[in-house]
Amino acid sequence: MLLQLLANGLVNGCMIALMALGYALIYNTTRIFHVAHGAAYTAAAYLCYLLLIVFKWPLLLAVVGGVAAAALLGVTMELAVYAPLYRRGASDLISLISSLGLYVALVNLIALLFGNETKVLRPGVEKTCRLLGVILTRIQVAEVVVAAVLLPLLVLFLKRTLWGKIIRGVRDNPVLAEVLGIDLMAVRIAVFAAGSALAGMAACLTALDVGMDPQVGMPVLLTAAVALIVGGVGTFEGPVIGGFLLGLIQSLIVWKISAQWTDVITFGVLIVFLVFRPEGIASRRRRLEESAA
Amino acid sequence: MNYLWHILVMISIYAILAASLNLVTGYSGLLSLCHAAFYGIGAYVTTLLMMRAGFGFLPAMALGAALTALISLAIAIPSLRLRGDYFVLATLGFQVIIFGVLYNWVSLTQGPYGIPGIPIPVILGIPVDTVFRYALLSGALAVACLVMIRAVARSPFGRLLRAVRDDEIAAAALGKNVPRIKITVFALGAAFAAVPGALFAGYMRFIDPTSFTLAEAIFILSIVVIGGAGSLAGPVLGAAFMVLLPEALRFLQMPDAVAANMRQIIYGLLLVVLMRFRPQGFLGKYGFE
Repeated sequence: MLLQLLANGLVNGCMIALMALGYALIYNTTRIFHVAHGAAYTAAAYLCYLLLIVFKWPLLLAVVGGVAAAALLGVTMELAVYAPLYRRGASDLISLISSLGLYVALVNLIALLFGNETKVLRPGVEKTCRLLGVILTRIQVAEVVVAAVLLPLLVLFLKRTLWGKIIRGVRDNPVLAEVLGIDLMAVRIAVFAAGSALAGMAACLTALDVGMDPQVGMPVLLTAAVALIVGGVGTFEGPVIGGFLLGLIQSLIVWKISAQWTDVITFGVLIVFLVFRPEGIASRRRRLEESAA
Repeated sequence: MNYLWHILVMISIYAILAASLNLVTGYSGLLSLCHAAFYGIGAYVTTLLMMRAGFGFLPAMALGAALTALISLAIAIPSLRLRGDYFVLATLGFQVIIFGVLYNWVSLTQGPYGIPGIPIPVILGIPVDTVFRYALLSGALAVACLVMIRAVARSPFGRLLRAVRDDEIAAAALGKNVPRIKITVFALGAAFAAVPGALFAGYMRFIDPTSFTLAEAIFILSIVVIGGAGSLAGPVLGAAFMVLLPEALRFLQMPDAVAANMRQIIYGLLLVVLMRFRPQGFLGKYGFE
């Protein structure tokens, strides 16, 4: 029983970690509280549904389509909304309110097109695998495999390669990065594309597993944002650690208390961290004069 | 005719909500996404005091406002040290937590089943039992709240709020106690938000947690942003606009199911466009800079 719960927590944690890493790519680099990231997530799930169920595409192509749609939507939002605001030097609050507006408009557009009801992508009973007394569906195994490949690769990429260094440079000081000849706007587009694609990946896999409705994006986005803060803003391993931690905590809540209290406790964790350790698990304590940025 | 009075009730409710959030967001620059939580606490406390403790409407409402202000301290005190995004996220977390409590604490709130049969408010011995009378009651309360909020905004304390919003460090350097100012205005905003909560409960005579969601909090914030943050008339204009928008769509013969989504698409896009070209909203004085 405990092992099964841990396994469920792990699967859940994989998806939160994917979403949180995508969110971290965007948030760390641009400092935009990108609520509409949740809309990119929802859009990917619905495109996957459209391709798979309505157009009868093969599963793999439908997932690729969903991921591409999320990336495209993310880049479009950057080009149409955030980039002009950045050039004008608008405050973070303005980007945040724009993002809220984008989220509301996009999610309602999706609801208008597809209806408000819950959609299931794979009706019927999924084939399962048994491993060490733990039962997982094939989709859940796929979720773990995708996360196990993507997460370490991406974190290593961001830590070790020149590209990663450029992204970290923009994260630490966008103005200085631009002075050094880095094309800031191109980096922003790249992180929006990659971050949104990760959201799309998490969305398609989760939708295949449990289905979706137009409102799914917001709780997922909020959990990812909590994972980022708990793990450590400004880092890329932090959101992954935070994601797995939240996945495990959530499955323990289901076991010990009740699934209905999941959101309350997730945000309880957030508030505890905001008060006692706002820099998160993974980041070192900064000296006071560093914290201005 | 009842239709017009009904619209007046809704505009009054949202005008008070927006004006109270405007104290926090427009005058003090604290973007808060938990106003629907305070609205909900006001509605639930008033309802429970009326139904379980036999209070009259106005005393229950007043106690509800006081209790809501007290609860707001629980979020204001720990989040005060946080700036910008972090503060927003903390208020958002508080909103989700309060919704979860309203939804899951079934023995107190009857959770998802909601509380039916809320008694009709009786003011000075007169039962407020028609839509017209309710419009009078809510209109009167809205005017009273708006006058009080205007008095706060024009007082030296109101000037202090704008000073903190525009330059927190300068205000602190002049010896102003910035944290205490923020806590006070947050509690004040919460107390005023409880009033429309009571009005809503007495009007609908049924409440359940789905009226007090994060989406509602975003909606209230949109009213302030669209009407104009930091101005006195902005929230009232914003409330009128947002309440009349779905009615206008209905006149365009749009089916209700489409109109519900369409209204949200319109106001979402309106937020994006305003932030791009006119961040201070229709009548506002504060552009979130």
